Amino acid sequence: MPPFPSPRAVADFSDRLLAHDLPELPADRRRAAVDFAGRRIEGLPSPVRIGVGLVAATTSGLGRLAGPGRVVRFAARRPVPVLSEYVRLVRSLAYAFVWETWPDTAPDGTPAATAP
Amino acid sequence: MTLGRALQADVLVIGSGAGGAPTAALAAEAGHDVVVLEEGPLVRQGEVVPFSLEQMGRQYRAGGVTPALGLPSITYTEGCCAGGGTEINSGLYRRPPVEVLTRWGLDDDAVTEIYAICDEVEKELSVQTVPGAQLPASEALRRGAADLHWRHDESPRWMEYPAGPAAWQGRRRSMTETYLPRAEAAGARLLTGHRVDRLIFDASRAVRAEVTTADGTPTTIDFRDVFVCGGAIQTPALLQRSGRRRGIGRTLAVHPTVKLTARFDDEVNVADDVPVHQVKEFAPDLSFGGSASNPGLVALALSDAWDRFGPAVTDWRHLAVYYAAITSVGRGRVTAVPGLRDPVVTYRLTRRDKQLLGQGLARLGLLLLEAGATEVYPAYRGAPVVRRPADLATVRATFSAGRASVMTVHLCSTVPFGDNDTAPAHPSGLLKATTNVWVNDASLLPDAPGVNPQASVMAVAIRNVRQYLEARR
Repeated sequence: MPPFPSPRAVADFSDRLLAHDLPELPADRRRAAVDFAGRRIEGLPSPVRIGVGLVAATTSGLGRLAGPGRVVRFAARRPVPVLSEYVRLVRSLAYAFVWETWPDTAPDGTPAATAP
Repeated sequence: MTLGRALQADVLVIGSGAGGAPTAALAAEAGHDVVVLEEGPLVRQGEVVPFSLEQMGRQYRAGGVTPALGLPSITYTEGCCAGGGTEINSGLYRRPPVEVLTRWGLDDDAVTEIYAICDEVEKELSVQTVPGAQLPASEALRRGAADLHWRHDESPRWMEYPAGPAAWQGRRRSMTETYLPRAEAAGARLLTGHRVDRLIFDASRAVRAEVTTADGTPTTIDFRDVFVCGGAIQTPALLQRSGRRRGIGRTLAVHPTVKLTARFDDEVNVADDVPVHQVKEFAPDLSFGGSASNPGLVALALSDAWDRFGPAVTDWRHLAVYYAAITSVGRGRVTAVPGLRDPVVTYRLTRRDKQLLGQGLARLGLLLLEAGATEVYPAYRGAPVVRRPADLATVRATFSAGRASVMTVHLCSTVPFGDNDTAPAHPSGLLKATTNVWVNDASLLPDAPGVNPQASVMAVAIRNVRQYLEARR
C-alpha cells in the first residue's frame, strides 16, 4: 500500500510554499527544511495523517488543474478553513527547522552574512 | 532491553511517567514482581538539548506534532520516552489547591494525606526555587506584574542546582533520575520500546497484555494486576482498544494557551530553559508565564503574521515567548478507532474559553509593555504589532481563537475518578466493572486543576498505589 499522504505531494507543496514565503532561502536549505517537514508529517498520529493526506491530495489535484504555483500562492494568503491548517502545519515545521538550524537567517530566507 | 517471548509479572505498569514511575517504585519496594512497559526509548539527560527539535523527535510522541481537532485545533504534546512527560516539561511544580481537592470529593483526611505525600515528593524531587540569578525573561515577567500590582510568584521546580548558579544550570529531577532508578533497584524490570496494543480480559479481570516491540515483534505479558499509566491520551485509548468504553475518553480537560513574543532592548533569550515566574492575578481562570524561546520556537511564534512580525526574527536574542493559559470549561474526547493505530482526539472550546484567551493575550501584552518590552507580537493571523497600551484595543477587537495558534501541555481527566455513576474509575483508581485494573495517571484527575498538574498526578498516584499495597498485604 503506498504511503499516505504521498511524500511527493507533501514535498512539492512544502517546497513551493517555502519558495513563496522565504524566496532567498538557498535551495539546499529549502530541501533540508522540506525533508524535515515531510518526516514529521509522516510521523503524525494516524487520524491526522489521513486528514493531511486528503488535503495534500486535493491541493495536488487542484495544482494540476490550475497550476501548482497559483494554488500555493492562494493557500499562503487566504485563510481557507482546513487548507490553512495544512499551510500552518508545514510553515510551523519548516520555520522552526530553519531558524533552529540557522538562527541568523533573515526573514526572507537570506543566510546570515559570512564573517570576513 | 527488548524481548520476543512471553513474560509474567505480579504487577504490570504501563507507562513510566509521573504516574507510572512512582507506582512501579512503591510496588517493587513492597516486594512485588513488577514489569514496567514504556513505548518510547530511554534518553538520558544531557543527550539532547531541552526544547530542541531533536528532543521532540526522540522524546515526544509524533515528534511533538499532535493536534486535538476542533475549531480551532489545539496542539498538544505528550512525552513518549522513559519518564514520560517529566523528561520534556518545564519542571514547574504546584501543589493542588485545597479547593480543587475538595471539588474532587476528597474529605479533610484525604486532603491531609495528599499534602503529606506532596511533602515526600518535594523532598524526593528536590523541589525548590532558583537559588541564583533568574532568567532575564523571567525577571521581565516579575517586573511587569510588580509594576501593575498583579499577584505573581516564582513557581518552584524539581531541580538540583550546584552552588550559586543561574536557573539554566540546574539538573532536572525527572522520573529517570528518581523513581525509575528506585523501581529498578527494587527489582522492577523497565522495558522500553514496548507498546501495549490491548489488554485481554477474562470477565471482569484483565489477564494478559498484547504487546508490540519497537522492531515490530509481538509478545505477551501475563499479570496478576495492572496499572495503566499511559497519560490522558494513551490510557483511554488503550482501555477502549481493550473493549472498555463506558465513560472513558469523553471528558478530556486541558489548559489551553495562546502565545505572544515580546521584544526588549536587552538580550533576554535563553534557548534551553524557561522562565519560572508566573502571574496569578486572574487565577484560576487565567495565568501567565514564559515559554521555551529557542530561535526555532521564536520563528514559530512569529509565523502567524510573518509579513508583519517576520523582520523581528533576526533580533531573536532580544525576544522571548510568553503564554496566557486559561482554565477551560470546554471538553474534549479521545476515541480509539478500529484499524487506526492512534486515537482521534478532539477538543471544543466554549465561547467563554475563546473570549478568555483573547482577554488573556491582551492582558499579557499589557504586562510585557509595562515590563519594558518595546514591541509585542501576539500569535494569531492578522495580529498587529503592539507598541503601546492603546494598541491592545486592536488585539481585543481582532483576536479570534480560530485564527490563533492554541496549544496546551496539560492533559487530564479522560478516566476521571468519582463516587458518582458516570465516573469510570473509583476514587482508588480501580476501573469500574473490573477487579484488577487501576488507572494511575493524569487521566484520573476529575478535572484540570488550574495549576501545573504533575504534583496532583504524583500525589494521587502514590496515594492509590499505597492503598493497593495495603489491601494486598
